[in-house]
Amino acid sequence: MKPDGARSALRVGRPSRAAYPLSWRALDAAEALVALWPDRWSGAVKWLFLAPALLIVGFLLWGLGVMADASLREMDFSTYRLTDERSLANFAKASGSAAFWATARRSLLAALIVTAICLILAFPYAYAMTRTRSAALRKLLLIGLFLPFFIGQVVRAYGWLILLGQQGLVNDALGTLGLGPYRMLFSYPAVLFGLVQYMLPFAVLMLAPALAAVPEEVERAAESCGAAWPRVLRHVVIPMARPGLIAAALVVSTLTLTDFAMPAIMGGGGADFLANLVYDQFFRTSDAGLGSAITLILTLLGTTVAGVLLAFAGASALGVRSAR
Amino acid sequence: MNGAAFHWTVAALVAAFLAAPSLVVLGASFTTGTIVQFPPDGFSLRWYGDVLAARELRGALARSLWVAVVCTALAVPAGTLAALALARWRFRRAAAIQLYLLLPFTIPLIGSGIGLMLLFGELRLLGSVWPVGLAACIINLPFMIWAVAASVNALDPELERAAANCGAGPAQTYLLVVLPAILPGVMAGALLMFILALNEFLVSLLLVDARTVTLPVQIYNSIRSILTPDLAAVSTIYVLIAAVAILILDRVVGLDLFLKSK
Repeated sequence: MKPDGARSALRVGRPSRAAYPLSWRALDAAEALVALWPDRWSGAVKWLFLAPALLIVGFLLWGLGVMADASLREMDFSTYRLTDERSLANFAKASGSAAFWATARRSLLAALIVTAICLILAFPYAYAMTRTRSAALRKLLLIGLFLPFFIGQVVRAYGWLILLGQQGLVNDALGTLGLGPYRMLFSYPAVLFGLVQYMLPFAVLMLAPALAAVPEEVERAAESCGAAWPRVLRHVVIPMARPGLIAAALVVSTLTLTDFAMPAIMGGGGADFLANLVYDQFFRTSDAGLGSAITLILTLLGTTVAGVLLAFAGASALGVRSAR
Repeated sequence: MNGAAFHWTVAALVAAFLAAPSLVVLGASFTTGTIVQFPPDGFSLRWYGDVLAARELRGALARSLWVAVVCTALAVPAGTLAALALARWRFRRAAAIQLYLLLPFTIPLIGSGIGLMLLFGELRLLGSVWPVGLAACIINLPFMIWAVAASVNALDPELERAAANCGAGPAQTYLLVVLPAILPGVMAGALLMFILALNEFLVSLLLVDARTVTLPVQIYNSIRSILTPDLAAVSTIYVLIAAVAILILDRVVGLDLFLKSK
């Protein structure tokens, strides 16, 4: 705040503060309020700005703490309460269960397959989007990307149920050719199909900035040296876009590995992933201890993969440039 | 086949693949029959009338909107202040703070959801709708920080010094200079948070009971039993909201923003 002498000199001859517009008085009040903050605490201001966000994320850590504690207690099925003693019994139960390993294998295989297909399909899309000279075409491709991104997994799976069902459009079309009807839904391939469609926007959004950063001149140079386009792609574009490819692969694989909705809706109960197994532990068998243990394993698995991604992207992944 | 023809063919097929389920839901909602199908059987708005009459769906939609409002109201101030703090001041452990704030993205949704379910259960918060909004804010907060950070980075710090030079106090500088300058980022972030909360499924599924069902959970519960066209009609709301959101986002920050490398 300024010394008051200068202010009062300015105020000479003015009738009353009440004549000031309301917005001025509100701002003066705000300044007065800010001035109440003692100068010696000025170093704490930046933490005050950060505090709400730290607090909100703190709930997440607190929740994980509660979950980790529950994972160490066994469910007593005579009272339906978790025991007071802590042990690793739930982890032993999980690792000794054939269902757990079968589900884990199914989730991991899905992560691999979906990631591979997504990268193959996302690359040409991102390439076309970043290389086109037509602004309208680029916008169209961007809208095609964001529209499904903003429509949740459940609604999209619902669309597939309508399209791929026994009386759906696809079976009708096959029927006119004298084929089918085929049972396409409620199978592992159906889950993978739905997941690829769900993950594609993520893959393209991770890839596009990396491809935009590859200068077109380099490609032209390779071509003028006589390289055909598959060779330009293999030896120039893909190596230069590698960070984007890695980022896309890790995002798609972690999201697939931990997905719940697609296996639940498109799998019909026969193609469950680890997240579905967790859900069943809590809501079918009511074993909160075992459920927490499996969730913890899955969380560690997913966080490790995501941590690798962050190590590649650097700590600037939030997009905040370091302070000046 | 040359390179251009190849990647344009794939891009067109992918675009069709991406659009298919939304278009099917949109089309199926106009059917006159009682069986949900695409292409629809005739054209009518009867299922939209049914949705307006159905108390369950209307209630679920109202709760989802409330969840989105709570989530946005919490995330906008928290995310904006955090982005300003990280860009404006030097922190000794800046990298650790950024990693901490990114935790909602690195922890899988099922982990966050189960953790929050157990925590909210202990705090006796289950059974109301607003904790679902808080949970949606927790798991999506990095989006808000990221959206505002893009605007803060583009802001010239000299502007604040100029304002101070002209006699503006800290409150005036922030309210009249900084806030208007970063408003596009704040609006884009708020829009993202609203849409994501409206669509939030897995964490809601874990946090709600029969009286606090949100719209995605209601749709999920219904499509597991029987496919009726009124669900297609209510899902159309999502397609419409997504379209409006894209329009606003393009106006406010421009969709091209997402193609720029950091």
